[in-house]
Parts: sequence; C-alpha cells; structure tokens
Amino acid sequence: MNSVRELAALGDVDPRVAAAAQQTALGRTVRSTTLWVAVALLAIILLFGALSDGVFLRADNISDMAVNSVIAVILAVGATFILGAGLLDLSIGSSLLLCSIVSAKVTTALAGSAEEVAAGVYPNLALGIAGGVAAGIACGALLGAVNGLIVTRLKLNSFIVTLATMGIFNGIALIVTNGVNVPNVPQQLQTDFAGSKLAGIPLPVFLAAIVAAAMWFVLTKTRFGMRTLAIGSSEEAARRANVPVDRHIVSLFVLMGVLAGIAGIVDLARFGTTNLEGHQTDALAAFAATVIGGTSLFGGRASVGGAVLGALIPVVLATGLVILDVVSFYQLVVVGVILILAVWLDQLRRSRFN
Amino acid sequence: MRPPVSTAERSTARAHAIELRDITKSFGHIQALRGATLQIRAGEVLAVVGDNGAGKSTLMKALSGNVVPTSGEIVIDGASAEIASVADAQRRGIFTVYQDLAQAPDLSALENVFLGREQLLGGIGRRIGLLARGEMRRRAEQALDDLGVTIPSVSRPVRDLSGGQRQAVAIARAVMWATTAVVMDEPTAALGARQTAIVYDTIKATAARGLAVVVVSHDIPNIVSLADRIAIMRHGRVLVTLESEKTNVDEVLRLMLGAEVTQ
Ligand SMILES: Nc1ncnc2c1ncn2[C@@H]1O[C@H](COP(=O)(O)OP(=O)(O)O)[C@@H](O)[C@H]1O
Ligand SMILES: [Mg+2]
Repeated sequence: MNSVRELAALGDVDPRVAAAAQQTALGRTVRSTTLWVAVALLAIILLFGALSDGVFLRADNISDMAVNSVIAVILAVGATFILGAGLLDLSIGSSLLLCSIVSAKVTTALAGSAEEVAAGVYPNLALGIAGGVAAGIACGALLGAVNGLIVTRLKLNSFIVTLATMGIFNGIALIVTNGVNVPNVPQQLQTDFAGSKLAGIPLPVFLAAIVAAAMWFVLTKTRFGMRTLAIGSSEEAARRANVPVDRHIVSLFVLMGVLAGIAGIVDLARFGTTNLEGHQTDALAAFAATVIGGTSLFGGRASVGGAVLGALIPVVLATGLVILDVVSFYQLVVVGVILILAVWLDQLRRSRFN
Repeated sequence: MRPPVSTAERSTARAHAIELRDITKSFGHIQALRGATLQIRAGEVLAVVGDNGAGKSTLMKALSGNVVPTSGEIVIDGASAEIASVADAQRRGIFTVYQDLAQAPDLSALENVFLGREQLLGGIGRRIGLLARGEMRRRAEQALDDLGVTIPSVSRPVRDLSGGQRQAVAIARAVMWATTAVVMDEPTAALGARQTAIVYDTIKATAARGLAVVVVSHDIPNIVSLADRIAIMRHGRVLVTLESEKTNVDEVLRLMLGAEVTQ
C-alpha cells in the first residue's frame, strides 16, 4: 500500500497538479478573476478621480453611482446562479418590467379609490405599498416558475426558452398597459425609500448589499449553492448522484424571477413610474457583468462578488465619462472589450486542464 | 440500548453475499443475457471478463439498477431483492463507479464525494441547508487515506487531478456509501499503466474493508493477479467462475475466446 501512496504522491502526479498542490493561498488569489476585476475597477475609479480633480470621488457622486448600480447588481447576482448552473435567462429585463407594472397596478388599486389615486391622495398607502411589494415579488416567482417549468418539462434549452419568454413577458407588459406607463404611483415610494438614507447610505444600496451578501452565502455555504455549481459542471454527474436536477433548475429560475421582481420594485420606487422602454438590454448587461466577474460561461464556477464588481463597471464608466464631459457612449465600447477579455481568460483557464 | 455509532463506523461494510440467479435480458431481438448466474462474496475482488458483447456491462447494470432484467432473481443474504432502479441498488448498499467517471470537474474531490449526500450542520443550519464542510473534509480525507490515495488537496477541483486520482476519488465516493458491493465497469480502460496501478491498489483496499468489488476488465494479466475469483462470460452467460490461485492467464484467455471448460 505504501508504494501506491508514494506513487500517487510523487511519481505519478501530473506536473501541473504538483504545481497546483504547491500553489499558495496567495498564488490562488492572484489568479482569481474577481481580484483582477476589483483591481481594474479601482484603477478606473482612481483614474477618474485624478482626471476630474476629485469631483468623481466626492461622497454624493459615489452615493449616486451606488444607487444607479442597484438594479444591475441585483440582476447580476441572480444571473450568477443561473449561469453557474450552466443556464441562461434572457427574460429578466422583461420580467422586471412586467413585475414593476403589476406592482404599480396593485399599489394604486389598493391605496385608494380611483378618484383619490388620480388626485394623488392615498388613504391606504401602507396597504397599497405592502400589496404592491408582495405582488411584484409574487409576479417574479411566477414568471421564473414559468421559465423553469418550460425548460425542465419540455426539455428545451434555456437560451431559447427565455428568448421566447423575453418577448412574451414584454408583450404582456405592453398589452396590460396599452403601451402607456402606469400613472399615479405614490411619490412616497420615491421619497421614503429610493431617496432616503440610513447612516448616510441610500436604502436601495442597503437592499442590494443585503441581497448580494445573502446570495454569496447561499452560493458558498449551502447545499443549494453547491448543487447549483454541480449541475453547471456536469448535469449528468448531478443526476447520477440523485440530485433532483429538474426541481433545482425550477428553483433557480424562481429565485432569478424573485430578484427580477425585487429589481422591478426598486425601479418603480426610483423613478416613480414604470419604464416601458428601459429594460431591453438588462438581461445582456446582467450576464455580461456576471461573466466579467469570473463566472464561467459554461457553468460550474461562479462568483457573486465578481458579479457585483462587474455590474459596477458600466455605471462607474458612464458616470466618469459624463463628469469628464466625454460622450458616455464610450462606456458601451469599453464594457464590450472587457467582456471579451473576461471570456478569453475563462477559456484559457479551461483549456489548460483539458 | 446501543451506544451511538459514529458516521465513519456506520459506513463500514458488513458481510453481505449477493447472488445473481439465471438473469436474462433482451433488448428487442438481442438477447444480451441468457441466464447468467454469479455469486458475489463480501470482501472479495471478483473480476468479470469476456469478449466484447458477452454481456458483462449488461450484467453489471442489472446489479447497479441501470437495467431491469427480463427474468431472473437477485438474492442478497438469502432473500430475494428487487433492484429496479439505481436508488434501489443504493438502498441495498450497492454503488457503481461509472466508466465515464460521472464527476463534476469544477467541484472539489470532497464535494464530488458528498454530492447528493451532503452533510449539513445541525439545528437551524440543517433547515437552511448549511454544509458541514469541516466534517465532510475530514471524512473525505479519511476515505482517501483508507484507500491509500494521496491527492494534492480535497478542496481543489477534480479537473486538476490526474486520471488515476480522479478514478480513485470516484471509487472513494462509492466506498464511502457502499455497504454491500462496489461495481466497476472497466475502471482503467482510459488510464495509462501507472494510473492503473493506483486504481488497482484502491480496489484491493476496498475489498479489504469487507466490501465485495465486482470489476469488469479487459486487462487480463493484471486482473488475474488482482482478483480473488474470475467469472468468465460468453454469449450472455457466466461460463465458469475460477479461483485466481487455481488458474492462469492462458486458461482465462482460452475460456474467454471459446474453449470448453475441462475441469
Ligand atoms: N441498451 C441496449 N440496447 C440494445 N442492445 C444492447 C443494449 N445494451 C447492450 N446491448 C447488446 O447486448 C449485448 C451485450 O452487451 P454488453 O453487455 O455491453 O457486453 P459487454 O460489456 O460484455 O461488451 C451486445 O450485443 C450489445 O450490443
Ligand atoms: Mg461493456
């Protein structure tokens, strides 16, 4: 038995494996995509700070950027789970929109009579908002379940399914609103939630931080997170290990839907109205942020922290360019280049061991 | 009252005997098994050899629950046992190491060993599915150590391991959960000589733990020296089962390829 031990320990080990074994914690950190994204983001922030004579780094600007990132962060964190499981969900922008509409309609319906609401008077404001929040979240769960059930029951590719439901949900959003944004949403949503701060930090930013921290915890510490990555790494292996793969996939889409619903409520609260034209590229932006943050395009490896950083990059770039009086459209170009770099790095890492 | 048993002790094998009796299996017109009978003893390495198409894989699948026999009986410890699914087989303590590994390459060795049977922390941690990583790591390291396998780290993705090490991790997984038998269909088919040596030693260590190990292999010379007994299959039947000490490579090859049994 000893001979085997030595064989396995010394002679028979692939040199790359031996190198991996000797790899220090520091070495592993240096190779982590998340770290590099953090470094890149910090460099961008410092560069803008220097070029703008510090205007960029002022507390109010930082706070604005944080608020502007909230929706992207919430969606990217959800996308991390979906992509980690080797799935895609292109419908999240449409889900967000439809849920913000449902939330707005329920809020205005419960907050007072039609005449009262039209006059901006909300006798049952608390009930309206509570109902609207619950409806927005329930809407997200339902739309997610629809995606998940179609993918698992009909055994269809999630890319195609959610490409279809992206159109379907968007169509329903336009049908139920007749193409007109829902009017008379209580302003208190803006003033008391989106615009208010706790300890100097805007409430929506708190919400995004809590969502991100909770999802990081779930991904790294729980069975749910481990099985998510197992499915992404090898669905067949997960099935053979008796992991209830289909049920898990439905749960992932429901989770993603709930996060889209929450993002929809935040969107409603920030702008005081629904935004029928504003969410066409949300899904692509969320998955781009996720991939930039180090989640593998093929599933199996995922980073919530990286996704958060990846979601911040476009906002930071756009804000910085505006402050520097440069057309902010350059942001689109830069993010595209970063995305290609991130995917290329992921591919290099995979091919090294395959 | 019995004293509480530790989880490590709980997975230790007890001596179970399995008998596959007169198993037949047809796939449409093809008769893959035509009445195969095989006795499997606890603590032995039983090699199953035969020409391509002899029915080895199908017989192993009947044992692991991947194939439901057309007729015949599986008897465990004298009682008839229905094995209609992989879950049935696993409930009887029979675990399979698949030819194509069936591992999640991005997950670590410890995660692969525990996938589907994760250990959770107690109390509220159990309800939210909190992984007991420390305990899982300890058990995975112990299991690999018991099999005499050393890998760089149980926390690194198995993608980074050599083929033999990955196979050893797959075997460790089966050994960890099996209480009756570990079934392997050509576990070394894709491996080089040194990697194969790791796997063979792992197989011996598995049997030494009291489990029956049933191995399908084409590596006749090595398997004859590794196994305690050798079952030779031909045309969907087990032609004969030989004690490895009372036979040799030539005889096994001759029987495999069509000679009549003389003893
Ligand atoms: N799922 C199946 N469908 C049809 N024929 C099969 C199937 N599995 C095995 N067979 C046939 O059964 C016979 C025995 O196959 P198998 O058990 O794989 O043999 P071995 O593993 O000894 O090479 C072969 O003729 C094979 O083609
Ligand atoms: Mg075979």
